[in-house]
Amino acid sequence: MRNIFTVFRKEMYRVLSDMRLVLMIFLLPGISIFAMYWLIGTLIQNQTEAVQQHTIIVYEENMPADIRSSLEGLVDLERPVNMEFHSIDTLEDSDLKEKVREGDIDVVLRFDADFEAKISNYDQAEAPSLFIIYNYGRQNSSFGYNQISSVLNQYQSMKLMERLEDPSHAQIFVTDYADDIVDERQMTGQGFAMLLPFLIVIFLFAGAMSIGPDSIAGEKERNTIATLLITPIKRSEIAIGKISSLALLSFISALSSFVGLAFSLPKLMQMDTNGVEYNIYEPIHFVLILFTLMATVLIIVGLIAVISAYAKTIKEASMLIMPFYLVTMIIGLLSSFGTEPSGQLIVHFIPIYGSVNFLSSIFVFQYDFANFVAVIVSSVVYTSLFIYLLTRLFSSEKVMFQK
Amino acid sequence: MKSLVVKDIKKTFRLSKKQRKIEQTDETKKVALRGVSFEAQPGEIFGLLGPNGAGKTTALRCIATLIKPDQGDITVDGFSAIKASSEVRKRIAFLTNEMKLEDHFTPNYLFRYFSRLHNISDEVSEMRKQALFKRFGIDKFQEVKVSDLSTGMKQKISIAISLVHDPDYIIFDEPTNGLDVLTARTVTDYLLEMRAEGKTVILSTHILNVVEKLCDRVGIIIDGEMKALDSLENVQNIASDQTLETLFFDLVKESAVEEHA
Repeated sequence: MRNIFTVFRKEMYRVLSDMRLVLMIFLLPGISIFAMYWLIGTLIQNQTEAVQQHTIIVYEENMPADIRSSLEGLVDLERPVNMEFHSIDTLEDSDLKEKVREGDIDVVLRFDADFEAKISNYDQAEAPSLFIIYNYGRQNSSFGYNQISSVLNQYQSMKLMERLEDPSHAQIFVTDYADDIVDERQMTGQGFAMLLPFLIVIFLFAGAMSIGPDSIAGEKERNTIATLLITPIKRSEIAIGKISSLALLSFISALSSFVGLAFSLPKLMQMDTNGVEYNIYEPIHFVLILFTLMATVLIIVGLIAVISAYAKTIKEASMLIMPFYLVTMIIGLLSSFGTEPSGQLIVHFIPIYGSVNFLSSIFVFQYDFANFVAVIVSSVVYTSLFIYLLTRLFSSEKVMFQK
Repeated sequence: MKSLVVKDIKKTFRLSKKQRKIEQTDETKKVALRGVSFEAQPGEIFGLLGPNGAGKTTALRCIATLIKPDQGDITVDGFSAIKASSEVRKRIAFLTNEMKLEDHFTPNYLFRYFSRLHNISDEVSEMRKQALFKRFGIDKFQEVKVSDLSTGMKQKISIAISLVHDPDYIIFDEPTNGLDVLTARTVTDYLLEMRAEGKTVILSTHILNVVEKLCDRVGIIIDGEMKALDSLENVQNIASDQTLETLFFDLVKESAVEEHA
């Protein structure tokens, strides 16, 4: 135990006494995650505001007065929509299409002559037509069309009601929704479940990847491993000391990313100044999350340590780890963006996937303690397996010394 | 029973593609040791002499338990290097040019670290550190990172750290390689002191002057075989002009002729 602690302490000291490493592993992930997501949020916000502030250029022909007045009334909404109307005059469809394509015009509305008259005489004449040109490839045009479309739908409903002698006959049935079904906590939790387990597992892996290869493959590459192997310390003690120190360092690194994410989340999710409701969770949830993360980081670090011990150089180790990183990303995606978290016990024995699935189930308040035990027990088993493999690799002269 | 016994050790390495390319051979295996035996007693310096690639380092790495011989055994104070490697490691200091110290740490930190790995109390470690650092002139640099020190100073730190546990058996592979005359002298003087203290020193080198100056007994290893093994005086007497240099060249030539035939 004393030897394990000695190796553990030396690995911690190696990182913590190097300001560049401290910056790179603990501060940079948090700062870069915050900066990246904050920037994305700001850009989305700016883009949305730019579209909303844009004056929609509408070219029209024979537009009924009611529709025109409804569209002009959009300027009085809480989020005003400005429209500028122009007459089509002599412009041909081909010219109009070209201008819409170029973004000079947002929407073209060509109503039939006597549009309203035809609507009124619906039992004697054909339904009037409306020809629309807009470009869904352009945000301003698409936004303008959506606004106009909702006004047209309202106009259509209004005209339909006018056709009936008693407007109340237009109502076929009344729909009433139960309003006490939605659990606000669960709804907020679903948002977290979609994003966080995936990101957390990626952060853990990235943190472990940034220090693991240097700690083991680096020692081989720099020829310092033999100096350690010549001491009476057991190979298993070296393995446990390395894995436990790497796990703690990776955990702190992931925590830094997580803090960056927590601060940038309100901006990213375009929430108001109240921010994201983190207080929907109780202490027990945080304890479960903490233990699940610790179990997951041990598996990830164990895997990276074994690959690093097998590799001859840091470069080779990083190259060999990359496919596992991609697989982990896919596992995270499957679990986060797939169906609801699985409650099946067997799923929680699958390394990493089980952890991500359990994290999702905590976030949506659908967890089961048996599954938690499965995650912890399986992680201990997998980590023990990795420690055994790492011990074997440290004992293998071919792996340790062959160039 | 205080002694280091190497008994008929054989070692064959599988050559990787890269190694085959470097050594310009199609052979997939390389026999490094072909049944090497020798003994080293307390209070003597045993010199293992041989040209590059003869198998000296492989033999020493087997003794140091870094690699296992395919056949034969090594015992240190009666403990087998194969079956009780941890016991052997407690008793030996091993140093080779291929072993480096982590650049990021200071000599002070590394000495304490390796002392703990050898299960030495902080008090004893501190006393040994002061003595060794003073002996090798490291005391002024003990808080300077290894990366900022000269090659000679790094070598002296490696030697000091290999001795943290005050071992009875000191196995140094080319300890004066790449060192200036003054540093080399510090190292050789220290080895003589160790002998005087009754320690067993095994020294591998291809510098004949060092062997003639330091060693009590000599083993000449060529192409994985022990070609001569006796006291320095007796080995020198084999040569026509009674010099180690002549004998060494004769044996290398003889071996080359045998290989060619």
